[in-house]
Amino acid sequence: MLLLKSLAKVIDNSGALVVEVINVMGGMRVASLGDEVVCVVKKARAATSDGAANAVSKLKKGDVARALVVRAAQRVRRLDGTFVKFDDNAVVMLSKQGAPLGNRVLGVVALEARQKRWAKIASLAPKMV
Amino acid sequence: MFRKFSLIRTEICNFSGFKIYPGHGKTFVKSDSRSYRLLNGKCESLFLQRKKPSKLSWTIVFRRLHKKGQAEEAAKKRTRRTVKAQRAVVGATLDSIKAKKNQKPEIRASLRQAAVAKSKDAKKAAQDKKKVELSKVKAAQKGNVSKQQMKGAAPKVQAKSR
Repeated sequence: MLLLKSLAKVIDNSGALVVEVINVMGGMRVASLGDEVVCVVKKARAATSDGAANAVSKLKKGDVARALVVRAAQRVRRLDGTFVKFDDNAVVMLSKQGAPLGNRVLGVVALEARQKRWAKIASLAPKMV
Repeated sequence: MFRKFSLIRTEICNFSGFKIYPGHGKTFVKSDSRSYRLLNGKCESLFLQRKKPSKLSWTIVFRRLHKKGQAEEAAKKRTRRTVKAQRAVVGATLDSIKAKKNQKPEIRASLRQAAVAKSKDAKKAAQDKKKVELSKVKAAQKGNVSKQQMKGAAPKVQAKSR
């Protein structure tokens, strides 16, 4: 349940660490699992740190980029009647075209990512719940 | 539209040990990627307070640990041992089976020996007979005879010129 001003953790290696939501795509007010979001990088990894993306330019503090919500602390109802909730709010950075900016995803990702056609991120994820 | 109950698989609450039917409970995914199924608000609250289920007497973990209710479980389980009954077979009636079973070991041994001796004699007789026949055949043949000729093939054509 990410809104304007919500902070989220970044779980890929695009260089950003913490990100603040400034807009929710699709005209919605609230972003949940599998929704796209526009955000500002609030905290980024130091420029010389290893393990950062080499394909695309690393994100720095103050960069505006899109992201996909992959973990939400607010519980989400699944169609089989179960509710899922995660420990934190987490996000994977995307380019404007919808491709992930990093090339690795660390941590769990919700199944909604695959359900909402984010196949690339689903394939990068080490574990989906 | 798929039926909600298409997979009626009851999960087990990670805290209390009770069954979770579809439509009940919550799944909580911790930051270490481990997911926990919790039956209701009670279990959820206690879980988040980091209470230990093994210390709460109503949970299954506690009951198993302190061996509560095991006596009733054991009484229900009574081992059933099948009794093997001897039955008559087509070739042997029940009496003959029983008789053979109850034969004294010495008698059995002596019978067996007799049978062995008999078969040995029969074998020896057969072998002797074979030998006699063979010698007869050999006497009838003149000179060297190949194995194939012994079996009845035509004699090999001898080479007359090189």
